Amino acid sequence: MKRPLLENERFVQIAAPLFVGLLFLLLWELVVQANDIQPYILPGPVAIAKAFVEDAGILFQGLLMTLKVTFLAFAIAVVLGTAASLLFVQSRWIEVSLFPYAVLMQVTPIVAIAPLIIIWVKDTTWALTVCAVIIAIFPIISNTTLGLRSVDPNLLAMFRMYRAGRWQQLIRLRIPSALPYFFGGMRISTGLALIGAVVAEFVAGTGGSKAGLAYLILQSGYNLKIPRMFAALALITLTGIVLFALMVWISDRVLRNWHESALKVEQ
Amino acid sequence: MIEATASRSESAPPMAAPAATGESPVRVGRPVVDVSGVDKIYANGTIALQGADLTIRQGEFVSLLGPSGCGKSTLLRIMAGLGDVSRGTVKWWEQDYSVVGQKGRKLAFVFQNATLMPWARVRKNVRLPLDLAHERGPEAEAKIDRALAMVGLSAFGDAYPRELSGGMQMRASIARAMVTEPDLLLMDEPFGALDEMTRNKLNDDLLELWQAKGWTVVFVTHSVYEAVYLSNRVVVMAARPGRIVDDVSIDVPYPRGADFRVSTEFAAYCRQVSKSLELASRQGREVRS
Repeated sequence: MKRPLLENERFVQIAAPLFVGLLFLLLWELVVQANDIQPYILPGPVAIAKAFVEDAGILFQGLLMTLKVTFLAFAIAVVLGTAASLLFVQSRWIEVSLFPYAVLMQVTPIVAIAPLIIIWVKDTTWALTVCAVIIAIFPIISNTTLGLRSVDPNLLAMFRMYRAGRWQQLIRLRIPSALPYFFGGMRISTGLALIGAVVAEFVAGTGGSKAGLAYLILQSGYNLKIPRMFAALALITLTGIVLFALMVWISDRVLRNWHESALKVEQ
Repeated sequence: MIEATASRSESAPPMAAPAATGESPVRVGRPVVDVSGVDKIYANGTIALQGADLTIRQGEFVSLLGPSGCGKSTLLRIMAGLGDVSRGTVKWWEQDYSVVGQKGRKLAFVFQNATLMPWARVRKNVRLPLDLAHERGPEAEAKIDRALAMVGLSAFGDAYPRELSGGMQMRASIARAMVTEPDLLLMDEPFGALDEMTRNKLNDDLLELWQAKGWTVVFVTHSVYEAVYLSNRVVVMAARPGRIVDDVSIDVPYPRGADFRVSTEFAAYCRQVSKSLELASRQGREVRS
Protein backbone atom coordinates (compact mmCIF):
# COMPACT_ATOMS: atom_id res chain seq x y z
CA MET A 1 0.00 0.00 0.00
CA LYS A 2 3.05 2.27 -0.01
CA ARG A 3 2.86 2.91 -3.73
CA PRO A 4 -0.81 2.53 -4.65
CA LEU A 5 -0.36 4.37 -7.95
CA LEU A 6 2.05 1.76 -9.26
CA GLU A 7 -0.39 -0.98 -8.38
CA ASN A 8 -3.17 0.69 -10.32
CA GLU A 9 -3.43 -1.30 -13.54
CA ARG A 10 -4.90 1.57 -15.57
CA PHE A 11 -2.28 4.02 -14.42
CA VAL A 12 0.55 1.64 -15.26
CA GLN A 13 -0.96 0.90 -18.67
CA ILE A 14 -0.86 4.57 -19.58
CA ALA A 15 2.18 5.71 -17.66
CA ALA A 16 4.62 2.99 -18.66
CA PRO A 17 4.50 3.50 -22.44
CA LEU A 18 4.34 7.28 -21.93
CA PHE A 19 7.50 7.12 -19.87
CA VAL A 20 9.30 5.09 -22.54
CA GLY A 21 8.16 7.58 -25.18
CA LEU A 22 9.38 10.59 -23.24
CA LEU A 23 12.68 8.89 -22.54
CA PHE A 24 13.09 8.20 -26.25
CA LEU A 25 12.33 11.85 -27.16
CA LEU A 26 14.75 13.10 -24.55
CA LEU A 27 17.50 10.82 -25.85
CA TRP A 28 16.75 11.92 -29.40
CA GLU A 29 17.01 15.59 -28.46
CA LEU A 30 20.24 14.96 -26.57
CA VAL A 31 21.83 13.12 -29.52
CA VAL A 32 20.81 15.92 -31.90
CA GLN A 33 22.15 18.63 -29.56
CA ALA A 34 25.35 16.83 -28.65
CA ASN A 35 26.33 16.08 -32.23
CA ASP A 36 25.06 19.37 -33.54
CA ILE A 37 23.00 17.67 -36.23
CA GLN A 38 21.39 20.15 -38.61
CA PRO A 39 17.58 20.26 -38.64
CA TYR A 40 17.46 19.49 -42.40
CA ILE A 41 19.21 16.18 -41.69
CA LEU A 42 17.47 15.22 -38.47
CA PRO A 43 15.45 17.72 -36.45
CA GLY A 44 15.12 17.19 -32.71
CA PRO A 45 11.77 16.89 -30.99
CA VAL A 46 11.95 20.52 -29.91
CA ALA A 47 12.34 21.73 -33.51
CA ILE A 48 9.47 19.49 -34.57
CA ALA A 49 7.29 20.85 -31.80
CA LYS A 50 8.16 24.34 -32.94
CA ALA A 51 7.12 23.46 -36.49
CA PHE A 52 3.85 22.12 -35.08
CA VAL A 53 3.05 25.50 -33.59
CA GLU A 54 4.34 27.62 -36.48
CA ASP A 55 2.66 25.59 -39.24
CA ALA A 56 -0.45 24.69 -37.26
CA GLY A 57 -2.66 26.25 -39.93
CA ILE A 58 -1.51 24.27 -42.95
CA LEU A 59 -0.95 21.12 -40.91
CA PHE A 60 -4.50 21.23 -39.64
CA GLN A 61 -5.83 21.84 -43.14
CA GLY A 62 -3.82 18.91 -44.46
CA LEU A 63 -5.04 16.72 -41.64
CA LEU A 64 -8.63 17.62 -42.43
CA MET A 65 -8.20 16.63 -46.08
CA THR A 66 -6.53 13.34 -45.22
CA LEU A 67 -9.16 12.58 -42.60
CA LYS A 68 -11.91 13.31 -45.09
CA VAL A 69 -10.52 10.81 -47.57
CA THR A 70 -9.82 8.27 -44.83
CA PHE A 71 -13.32 8.40 -43.37
CA LEU A 72 -15.00 8.39 -46.76
CA ALA A 73 -12.93 5.40 -47.84
CA PHE A 74 -13.48 3.57 -44.57
CA ALA A 75 -17.24 4.11 -44.67
CA ILE A 76 -17.45 2.93 -48.27
CA ALA A 77 -15.21 -0.06 -47.51
CA VAL A 78 -17.42 -1.08 -44.59
CA VAL A 79 -20.64 -0.75 -46.56
CA LEU A 80 -19.39 -2.40 -49.75
CA GLY A 81 -17.35 -5.01 -47.90
CA THR A 82 -20.26 -6.05 -45.72
CA ALA A 83 -22.55 -6.14 -48.74
CA ALA A 84 -20.05 -8.34 -50.58
CA SER A 85 -19.81 -10.72 -47.60
CA LEU A 86 -23.56 -10.98 -47.34
CA LEU A 87 -23.65 -11.78 -51.03
CA PHE A 88 -20.91 -14.40 -50.65
CA VAL A 89 -22.71 -16.34 -47.94
CA GLN A 90 -25.91 -16.48 -49.96
CA SER A 91 -24.47 -19.08 -52.24
CA ARG A 92 -21.33 -21.12 -52.53
CA TRP A 93 -21.33 -20.37 -56.25
CA ILE A 94 -21.19 -16.62 -55.79
CA GLU A 95 -18.39 -16.90 -53.28
CA VAL A 96 -16.32 -19.29 -55.35
CA SER A 97 -16.76 -17.13 -58.45
CA LEU A 98 -16.03 -13.76 -56.86
CA PHE A 99 -13.72 -14.30 -53.91
CA PRO A 100 -10.57 -14.72 -56.03
CA TYR A 101 -11.19 -11.23 -57.42
CA ALA A 102 -11.37 -9.79 -53.94
CA VAL A 103 -7.96 -11.37 -53.32
CA LEU A 104 -6.72 -10.04 -56.64
CA MET A 105 -7.71 -6.55 -55.58
CA GLN A 106 -5.90 -7.00 -52.31
CA VAL A 107 -2.59 -8.14 -53.80
CA THR A 108 -2.45 -5.53 -56.56
CA PRO A 109 0.01 -2.85 -55.43
CA ILE A 110 -1.99 0.33 -55.01
CA VAL A 111 1.00 2.45 -55.96
CA ALA A 112 0.99 0.83 -59.38
CA ILE A 113 -2.67 1.43 -60.17
CA ALA A 114 -3.15 4.76 -58.40
CA PRO A 115 -2.00 6.79 -61.45
CA LEU A 116 -4.63 5.02 -63.57
CA ILE A 117 -7.36 5.73 -61.07
CA ILE A 118 -6.30 9.35 -60.89
CA ILE A 119 -6.60 9.58 -64.68
CA TRP A 120 -9.99 7.89 -64.69
CA VAL A 121 -11.57 9.67 -61.76
CA LYS A 122 -11.65 13.43 -62.39
CA ASP A 123 -12.29 14.64 -58.86
CA THR A 124 -9.13 14.32 -56.77
CA THR A 125 -10.85 13.61 -53.49
CA TRP A 126 -12.80 10.78 -55.08
CA ALA A 127 -9.74 9.43 -56.88
CA LEU A 128 -7.87 9.22 -53.57
CA THR A 129 -10.94 7.70 -51.91
CA VAL A 130 -11.19 4.97 -54.55
CA CYS A 131 -7.54 4.05 -53.98
CA ALA A 132 -8.03 3.93 -50.22
CA VAL A 133 -11.19 1.82 -50.57
CA ILE A 134 -9.33 -0.74 -52.69
CA ILE A 135 -6.82 -1.17 -49.87
CA ALA A 136 -9.25 -1.00 -46.96
CA ILE A 137 -12.03 -3.24 -48.19
CA PHE A 138 -10.35 -6.63 -48.14
CA PRO A 139 -10.12 -7.17 -44.35
CA ILE A 140 -13.80 -6.31 -44.09
CA ILE A 141 -14.77 -8.78 -46.81
CA SER A 142 -12.60 -11.65 -45.62
CA ASN A 143 -13.33 -11.25 -41.91
CA THR A 144 -17.06 -10.70 -42.26
CA THR A 145 -17.41 -13.63 -44.66
CA LEU A 146 -15.53 -15.83 -42.21
CA GLY A 147 -17.76 -14.58 -39.39
CA LEU A 148 -20.99 -15.14 -41.27
CA ARG A 149 -19.86 -18.73 -41.86
CA SER A 150 -18.70 -19.32 -38.28
CA VAL A 151 -22.09 -20.19 -36.93
CA ASP A 152 -22.57 -22.80 -34.21
CA PRO A 153 -23.81 -25.78 -36.29
CA ASN A 154 -26.17 -26.84 -33.51
CA LEU A 155 -27.74 -23.40 -33.36
CA LEU A 156 -28.12 -23.51 -37.11
CA ALA A 157 -29.75 -26.94 -36.87
CA MET A 158 -32.11 -25.56 -34.27
CA PHE A 159 -33.03 -22.61 -36.47
CA ARG A 160 -33.79 -25.04 -39.28
CA MET A 161 -35.82 -27.22 -36.97
CA TYR A 162 -37.98 -24.27 -36.01
CA ARG A 163 -38.27 -23.57 -39.72
CA ALA A 164 -36.53 -20.22 -39.63
CA GLY A 165 -36.40 -18.48 -43.00
CA ARG A 166 -33.20 -17.28 -44.65
CA TRP A 167 -33.83 -13.77 -43.44
CA GLN A 168 -34.39 -14.83 -39.84
CA GLN A 169 -31.24 -16.94 -39.98
CA LEU A 170 -29.29 -13.97 -41.25
CA ILE A 171 -30.61 -11.38 -38.80
CA ARG A 172 -30.84 -13.50 -35.69
CA LEU A 173 -27.96 -15.88 -36.14
CA ARG A 174 -25.40 -15.11 -38.81
CA ILE A 175 -24.98 -11.38 -38.25
CA PRO A 176 -24.60 -11.57 -34.46
CA SER A 177 -22.15 -14.48 -34.86
CA ALA A 178 -20.17 -12.43 -37.37
CA LEU A 179 -19.90 -9.27 -35.25
CA PRO A 180 -16.62 -10.09 -33.47
CA TYR A 181 -15.00 -10.95 -36.82
CA PHE A 182 -16.48 -7.84 -38.42
CA PHE A 183 -14.99 -5.61 -35.73
CA GLY A 184 -11.66 -7.36 -36.14
CA GLY A 185 -11.81 -6.47 -39.82
CA MET A 186 -12.72 -2.86 -38.97
CA ARG A 187 -9.64 -2.48 -36.77
CA ILE A 188 -7.34 -3.45 -39.63
CA SER A 189 -9.37 -1.56 -42.18
CA THR A 190 -9.20 1.87 -40.51
CA GLY A 191 -5.40 1.78 -40.54
CA LEU A 192 -5.41 0.65 -44.16
CA ALA A 193 -7.85 3.41 -45.16
CA LEU A 194 -5.44 5.96 -43.72
CA ILE A 195 -2.44 4.36 -45.41
CA GLY A 196 -4.41 4.20 -48.66
CA ALA A 197 -5.31 7.89 -48.44
CA VAL A 198 -1.70 8.87 -47.82
CA VAL A 199 -0.16 6.57 -50.44
CA ALA A 200 -2.64 7.67 -53.09
CA GLU A 201 -1.89 11.28 -52.39
CA PHE A 202 1.83 10.63 -52.70
CA VAL A 203 1.21 9.27 -56.16
CA ALA A 204 -1.29 11.92 -57.12
CA GLY A 205 0.77 14.74 -55.72
CA THR A 206 -2.22 17.04 -55.55
CA GLY A 207 -1.46 20.51 -54.37
CA GLY A 208 -3.53 23.60 -53.75
CA SER A 209 -6.51 23.76 -51.49
CA LYS A 210 -6.98 20.00 -51.63
CA ALA A 211 -3.55 19.17 -50.25
CA GLY A 212 -3.52 16.54 -47.54
CA LEU A 213 -0.79 15.51 -45.15
CA ALA A 214 1.01 13.41 -47.74
CA TYR A 215 1.41 16.35 -50.10
CA LEU A 216 2.63 18.40 -47.17
CA ILE A 217 5.32 15.80 -46.50
CA LEU A 218 6.37 15.85 -50.16
CA GLN A 219 6.47 19.62 -50.28
CA SER A 220 8.35 19.92 -47.01
CA GLY A 221 10.86 17.42 -48.33
CA TYR A 222 11.45 19.44 -51.53
CA ASN A 223 11.85 22.63 -49.49
CA LEU A 224 14.09 20.99 -46.91
CA LYS A 225 11.60 21.93 -44.20
CA ILE A 226 12.31 18.68 -42.47
CA PRO A 227 10.82 19.62 -39.06
CA ARG A 228 7.48 20.26 -40.75
CA MET A 229 7.80 16.95 -42.56
CA PHE A 230 8.27 15.21 -39.24
CA ALA A 231 5.35 17.10 -37.78
CA ALA A 232 3.08 15.93 -40.61
CA LEU A 233 4.37 12.40 -40.22
CA ALA A 234 3.66 12.48 -36.48
CA LEU A 235 0.16 13.70 -37.21
CA ILE A 236 -0.51 10.78 -39.56
CA THR A 237 0.76 8.29 -36.98
CA LEU A 238 -1.29 9.90 -34.26
CA THR A 239 -4.40 9.79 -36.45
CA GLY A 240 -3.84 6.09 -37.07
CA ILE A 241 -3.54 5.39 -33.36
CA VAL A 242 -6.67 7.38 -32.54
CA LEU A 243 -8.66 5.60 -35.25
CA PHE A 244 -7.51 2.22 -34.00
CA ALA A 245 -8.38 3.12 -30.41
CA LEU A 246 -11.79 4.29 -31.58
CA MET A 247 -12.44 0.94 -33.28
CA VAL A 248 -11.36 -0.97 -30.18
CA TRP A 249 -13.67 1.18 -28.09
CA ILE A 250 -16.65 0.65 -30.38
CA SER A 251 -16.07 -3.08 -30.57
CA ASP A 252 -15.73 -3.32 -26.77
CA ARG A 253 -18.93 -1.35 -26.31
CA VAL A 254 -20.89 -3.61 -28.61
CA LEU A 255 -19.42 -6.95 -27.52
CA ARG A 256 -18.81 -6.32 -23.86
CA ASN A 257 -21.71 -8.40 -22.63
CA TRP A 258 -20.90 -11.60 -24.33
CA HIS A 259 -17.74 -11.91 -26.36
CA GLU A 260 -14.49 -13.12 -24.85
CA SER A 261 -12.53 -10.36 -26.55
CA ALA A 262 -14.35 -7.65 -24.61
CA LEU A 263 -14.74 -9.33 -21.24
CA LYS A 264 -12.93 -8.25 -18.15
CA VAL A 265 -12.21 -11.51 -16.40
CA GLU A 266 -12.03 -11.39 -12.64
CA GLN A 267 -9.46 -13.74 -11.26
CA MET B 1 -35.64 -59.52 -12.11
CA ILE B 2 -39.12 -60.04 -13.38
CA GLU B 3 -39.93 -61.64 -10.04
CA ALA B 4 -38.51 -58.62 -8.27
CA THR B 5 -40.76 -56.30 -10.22
CA ALA B 6 -43.77 -58.48 -9.70
CA SER B 7 -43.23 -58.81 -5.99
CA ARG B 8 -42.84 -55.06 -5.69
CA SER B 9 -46.06 -54.22 -7.42
CA GLU B 10 -47.85 -56.83 -5.33
CA SER B 11 -46.49 -55.56 -2.08
CA ALA B 12 -47.21 -51.97 -3.01
CA PRO B 13 -50.63 -51.92 -4.65
CA PRO B 14 -51.06 -48.11 -4.53
CA MET B 15 -48.26 -47.89 -7.06
CA ALA B 16 -50.49 -49.51 -9.59
CA ALA B 17 -52.60 -46.37 -9.81
CA PRO B 18 -50.08 -44.10 -11.55
CA ALA B 19 -49.05 -47.03 -13.70
CA ALA B 20 -52.49 -47.09 -15.18
CA THR B 21 -52.51 -43.44 -16.18
CA GLY B 22 -50.19 -43.54 -19.14
CA GLU B 23 -46.89 -44.51 -17.52
CA SER B 24 -47.80 -48.12 -18.06
CA PRO B 25 -45.16 -50.12 -19.88
CA VAL B 26 -47.86 -51.62 -22.01
CA ARG B 27 -47.38 -50.05 -25.40
CA VAL B 28 -50.78 -48.78 -26.31
CA GLY B 29 -50.09 -45.14 -27.14
CA ARG B 30 -50.15 -43.79 -30.65
CA PRO B 31 -46.81 -43.92 -32.44
CA VAL B 32 -45.11 -40.53 -32.25
CA VAL B 33 -41.97 -41.40 -34.14
CA ASP B 34 -41.59 -44.53 -36.16
CA VAL B 35 -38.19 -45.47 -37.52
CA SER B 36 -38.12 -48.51 -39.73
CA GLY B 37 -35.23 -50.19 -41.47
CA VAL B 38 -33.08 -47.08 -41.28
CA ASP B 39 -29.45 -47.11 -42.38
CA LYS B 40 -27.24 -44.08 -42.15
CA ILE B 41 -24.00 -44.27 -44.08
CA TYR B 42 -21.75 -41.23 -44.19
CA ALA B 43 -19.92 -40.18 -47.32
CA ASN B 44 -16.65 -41.55 -45.93
CA GLY B 45 -18.21 -45.01 -45.69
CA THR B 46 -18.82 -45.06 -41.94
CA ILE B 47 -21.94 -47.02 -41.13
CA ALA B 48 -23.39 -44.91 -38.35
CA LEU B 49 -26.62 -46.85 -38.18
CA GLN B 50 -27.75 -50.15 -39.62
CA GLY B 51 -31.25 -51.52 -39.82
CA ALA B 52 -32.68 -49.41 -37.03
CA ASP B 53 -36.28 -50.22 -36.15
CA LEU B 54 -37.83 -48.25 -33.33
CA THR B 55 -41.27 -46.99 -32.48
CA ILE B 56 -41.69 -44.31 -29.85
CA ARG B 57 -45.22 -44.08 -28.54
CA GLN B 58 -47.24 -41.30 -26.98
CA GLY B 59 -46.21 -40.56 -23.40
CA GLU B 60 -43.16 -42.82 -23.31
CA PHE B 61 -39.83 -41.91 -21.81
CA VAL B 62 -37.30 -43.79 -23.90
CA SER B 63 -33.55 -43.73 -23.42
CA LEU B 64 -31.09 -44.56 -26.17
CA LEU B 65 -28.10 -46.08 -24.41
CA GLY B 66 -24.78 -47.18 -25.81
CA PRO B 67 -21.06 -46.53 -26.12
CA SER B 68 -19.57 -43.77 -28.26
CA GLY B 69 -20.04 -44.43 -31.94
CA CYS B 70 -23.14 -46.59 -31.56
CA GLY B 71 -25.20 -44.12 -33.53
CA LYS B 72 -27.47 -43.04 -30.70
CA SER B 73 -27.02 -39.35 -31.44
CA THR B 74 -27.37 -40.03 -35.14
CA LEU B 75 -30.64 -41.84 -34.51
CA LEU B 76 -31.88 -38.97 -32.36
CA ARG B 77 -31.00 -36.41 -35.01
CA ILE B 78 -32.80 -38.48 -37.61
CA MET B 79 -35.85 -38.48 -35.34
CA ALA B 80 -35.53 -34.70 -35.17
CA GLY B 81 -35.46 -34.50 -38.94
CA LEU B 82 -31.93 -33.07 -38.75
CA GLY B 83 -30.34 -35.64 -41.00
CA ASP B 84 -31.25 -37.62 -44.09
CA VAL B 85 -31.39 -41.38 -43.95
CA SER B 86 -29.51 -43.57 -46.42
CA ARG B 87 -32.21 -46.22 -46.41
CA GLY B 88 -35.50 -46.84 -44.64
CA THR B 89 -38.29 -44.54 -43.56
CA VAL B 90 -39.11 -42.26 -40.65
CA LYS B 91 -42.67 -41.26 -39.80
CA TRP B 92 -43.81 -38.57 -37.40
CA TRP B 93 -47.31 -39.08 -36.04
CA GLU B 94 -47.65 -41.66 -38.82
CA GLN B 95 -46.98 -39.03 -41.47
CA ASP B 96 -44.01 -37.34 -43.10
CA TYR B 97 -41.87 -34.54 -41.69
CA SER B 98 -44.11 -31.77 -43.00
CA VAL B 99 -46.60 -32.32 -40.15
CA VAL B 100 -43.94 -31.56 -37.54
CA GLY B 101 -44.58 -28.18 -35.95
CA GLN B 102 -48.34 -28.30 -36.27
CA LYS B 103 -50.48 -28.13 -33.17
CA GLY B 104 -50.16 -31.32 -31.14
CA ARG B 105 -47.16 -32.32 -33.26
CA LYS B 106 -44.49 -30.03 -31.94
CA LEU B 107 -40.97 -31.20 -31.53
CA ALA B 108 -38.13 -29.77 -29.48
CA PHE B 109 -34.48 -30.72 -29.29
CA VAL B 110 -32.05 -30.23 -26.44
CA PHE B 111 -28.41 -30.43 -27.46
CA GLN B 112 -25.45 -31.82 -25.59
CA ASN B 113 -24.19 -28.31 -24.88
CA ALA B 114 -26.68 -25.67 -23.93
CA THR B 115 -26.32 -24.15 -27.44
CA LEU B 116 -27.53 -20.75 -26.35
CA MET B 117 -26.93 -17.58 -28.32
CA PRO B 118 -24.16 -15.92 -26.28
CA TRP B 119 -25.15 -12.42 -27.43
CA ALA B 120 -28.72 -12.69 -26.17
CA ARG B 121 -30.03 -12.60 -22.62
CA VAL B 122 -31.63 -15.74 -21.21
CA ARG B 123 -35.13 -14.47 -21.84
CA LYS B 124 -34.36 -13.70 -25.45
CA ASN B 125 -32.81 -17.13 -25.88
CA VAL B 126 -35.87 -18.80 -24.43
CA ARG B 127 -38.23 -16.82 -26.64
CA LEU B 128 -36.35 -17.68 -29.82
CA PRO B 129 -38.74 -20.43 -30.99
CA LEU B 130 -41.66 -18.05 -30.52
CA ASP B 131 -39.83 -15.25 -32.31
CA LEU B 132 -39.12 -17.53 -35.23
CA ALA B 133 -42.81 -18.39 -35.41
CA HIS B 134 -43.71 -14.69 -35.18
CA GLU B 135 -45.54 -15.22 -31.90
CA ARG B 136 -45.72 -12.01 -29.91
CA GLY B 137 -47.88 -10.34 -27.34
CA PRO B 138 -48.93 -11.08 -23.78
CA GLU B 139 -49.65 -14.73 -24.52
CA ALA B 140 -46.12 -15.29 -25.74
CA GLU B 141 -44.71 -13.44 -22.73
CA ALA B 142 -46.78 -15.67 -20.43
CA LYS B 143 -45.37 -18.77 -22.15
CA ILE B 144 -41.85 -17.50 -21.61
CA ASP B 145 -42.57 -16.74 -17.96
CA ARG B 146 -43.95 -20.25 -17.50
CA ALA B 147 -40.99 -21.89 -19.20
CA LEU B 148 -38.51 -19.91 -17.08
CA ALA B 149 -40.45 -20.71 -13.93
CA MET B 150 -40.54 -24.42 -14.75
CA VAL B 151 -36.76 -24.62 -14.84
CA GLY B 152 -36.35 -22.26 -11.88
CA LEU B 153 -34.76 -19.43 -13.84
CA SER B 154 -37.42 -16.76 -13.32
CA ALA B 155 -34.90 -14.47 -11.68
CA PHE B 156 -32.30 -14.89 -14.42
CA GLY B 157 -34.14 -13.73 -17.51
CA ASP B 158 -31.90 -10.70 -17.86
CA ALA B 159 -28.64 -12.57 -17.41
CA TYR B 160 -26.34 -13.41 -20.28
CA PRO B 161 -25.62 -17.11 -20.78
CA ARG B 162 -21.98 -16.71 -19.81
CA GLU B 163 -23.03 -15.39 -16.42
CA LEU B 164 -24.75 -18.70 -15.62
CA SER B 165 -23.28 -21.96 -14.39
CA GLY B 166 -23.26 -24.99 -16.66
CA GLY B 167 -26.34 -26.43 -14.96
CA MET B 168 -28.23 -23.17 -15.28
CA GLN B 169 -27.30 -22.85 -18.94
CA MET B 170 -28.71 -26.32 -19.47
CA ARG B 171 -31.90 -25.26 -17.67
CA ALA B 172 -32.17 -22.26 -19.98
CA SER B 173 -31.75 -24.59 -22.92
CA ILE B 174 -34.53 -26.81 -21.59
CA ALA B 175 -36.74 -23.76 -21.04
CA ARG B 176 -36.20 -22.81 -24.67
CA ALA B 177 -37.25 -26.31 -25.71
CA MET B 178 -40.34 -26.14 -23.51
CA VAL B 179 -41.53 -22.70 -24.50
CA THR B 180 -43.28 -24.07 -27.56
CA GLU B 181 -45.01 -26.63 -25.33
CA PRO B 182 -43.65 -29.54 -27.37
CA ASP B 183 -45.28 -32.92 -27.70
CA LEU B 184 -42.04 -34.70 -28.42
CA LEU B 185 -38.86 -33.77 -26.61
CA LEU B 186 -35.57 -35.11 -27.98
CA MET B 187 -32.56 -34.77 -25.70
CA ASP B 188 -28.99 -35.53 -26.72
CA GLU B 189 -26.95 -36.26 -23.58
CA PRO B 190 -28.24 -33.05 -22.08
CA PHE B 191 -26.65 -33.52 -18.67
CA GLY B 192 -23.45 -35.24 -19.79
CA ALA B 193 -21.20 -32.32 -18.94
CA LEU B 194 -22.65 -31.68 -15.48
CA ASP B 195 -21.58 -32.88 -12.07
CA GLU B 196 -23.51 -35.75 -10.52
CA MET B 197 -25.44 -33.67 -7.98
CA THR B 198 -26.69 -31.24 -10.61
CA ARG B 199 -27.42 -34.12 -12.94
CA ASN B 200 -29.54 -35.96 -10.37
CA LYS B 201 -31.44 -32.80 -9.58
CA LEU B 202 -32.13 -32.09 -13.23
CA ASN B 203 -33.13 -35.72 -13.77
CA ASP B 204 -35.77 -35.41 -11.08
CA ASP B 205 -36.94 -32.06 -12.41
CA LEU B 206 -37.21 -33.51 -15.88
CA LEU B 207 -39.24 -36.49 -14.70
CA GLU B 208 -41.57 -34.21 -12.79
CA LEU B 209 -42.15 -32.07 -15.85
CA TRP B 210 -42.60 -35.08 -18.07
CA GLN B 211 -45.26 -36.44 -15.77
CA ALA B 212 -47.01 -33.11 -15.49
CA LYS B 213 -46.96 -32.30 -19.20
CA GLY B 214 -47.61 -35.66 -20.78
CA TRP B 215 -44.69 -35.33 -23.19
CA THR B 216 -43.03 -38.05 -25.11
CA VAL B 217 -39.30 -37.99 -24.41
CA VAL B 218 -36.38 -39.62 -26.20
CA PHE B 219 -33.23 -39.24 -24.17
CA VAL B 220 -29.73 -40.14 -25.32
CA THR B 221 -27.22 -41.07 -22.64
CA HIS B 222 -24.20 -43.27 -22.06
CA SER B 223 -24.98 -43.72 -18.39
CA VAL B 224 -26.70 -46.98 -17.51
CA TYR B 225 -27.89 -45.51 -14.21
CA GLU B 226 -29.36 -42.43 -15.76
CA ALA B 227 -31.14 -44.49 -18.42
CA VAL B 228 -32.66 -46.91 -15.91
CA TYR B 229 -33.62 -44.18 -13.48
CA LEU B 230 -35.41 -42.05 -16.03
CA SER B 231 -36.98 -44.28 -18.60
CA ASN B 232 -39.77 -46.71 -19.01
CA ARG B 233 -37.85 -48.14 -21.96
CA VAL B 234 -34.12 -48.44 -22.44
CA VAL B 235 -33.04 -49.03 -26.02
CA VAL B 236 -29.57 -50.57 -25.95
CA MET B 237 -27.30 -49.86 -28.88
CA ALA B 238 -23.90 -51.14 -30.02
CA ALA B 239 -21.17 -49.74 -32.21
CA ARG B 240 -19.48 -50.72 -35.50
CA PRO B 241 -21.90 -50.77 -37.12
CA GLY B 242 -24.25 -48.67 -35.02
CA ARG B 243 -27.35 -50.74 -34.31
CA ILE B 244 -30.10 -51.45 -31.84
CA VAL B 245 -29.48 -54.64 -29.90
CA ASP B 246 -32.00 -54.67 -27.08
CA ASP B 247 -35.12 -52.96 -25.79
CA VAL B 248 -35.59 -53.26 -22.03
CA SER B 249 -38.80 -52.21 -20.29
CA ILE B 250 -38.28 -50.65 -16.88
CA ASP B 251 -41.55 -51.55 -15.22
CA VAL B 252 -41.32 -49.27 -12.23
CA PRO B 253 -44.03 -46.71 -11.54
CA TYR B 254 -43.31 -43.03 -11.24
CA PRO B 255 -42.52 -40.91 -9.31
CA ARG B 256 -39.21 -42.62 -8.67
CA GLY B 257 -37.50 -40.88 -5.80
CA ALA B 258 -34.05 -41.14 -4.32
CA ASP B 259 -35.09 -44.45 -2.78
CA PHE B 260 -35.35 -46.01 -6.19
CA ARG B 261 -31.71 -45.14 -6.92
CA VAL B 262 -30.58 -47.39 -4.05
CA SER B 263 -33.17 -50.14 -4.40
CA THR B 264 -32.31 -53.71 -5.34
CA GLU B 265 -34.77 -53.40 -8.17
CA PHE B 266 -32.78 -50.52 -9.61
CA ALA B 267 -29.59 -52.53 -9.26
CA ALA B 268 -31.20 -55.50 -10.97
CA TYR B 269 -32.29 -53.41 -13.94
CA CYS B 270 -28.86 -51.83 -14.19
CA ARG B 271 -27.31 -55.29 -14.20
CA GLN B 272 -29.65 -56.47 -16.94
CA VAL B 273 -28.97 -53.44 -19.12
CA SER B 274 -25.21 -53.63 -18.52
CA LYS B 275 -25.21 -57.30 -19.45
CA SER B 276 -27.03 -56.49 -22.63
CA LEU B 277 -24.46 -53.82 -23.47
CA GLU B 278 -21.59 -56.17 -22.75
CA LEU B 279 -23.08 -58.98 -24.80
CA ALA B 280 -23.51 -56.63 -27.74
CA SER B 281 -19.94 -55.43 -27.61
CA ARG B 282 -18.68 -59.03 -27.40
CA GLN B 283 -20.74 -60.00 -30.43
CA GLY B 284 -19.29 -57.02 -32.21
CA ARG B 285 -15.77 -58.22 -31.49
CA GLU B 286 -16.59 -61.72 -32.73
CA VAL B 287 -18.03 -60.35 -35.94
CA ARG B 288 -14.86 -58.34 -36.54
CA SER B 289 -12.40 -61.14 -35.74
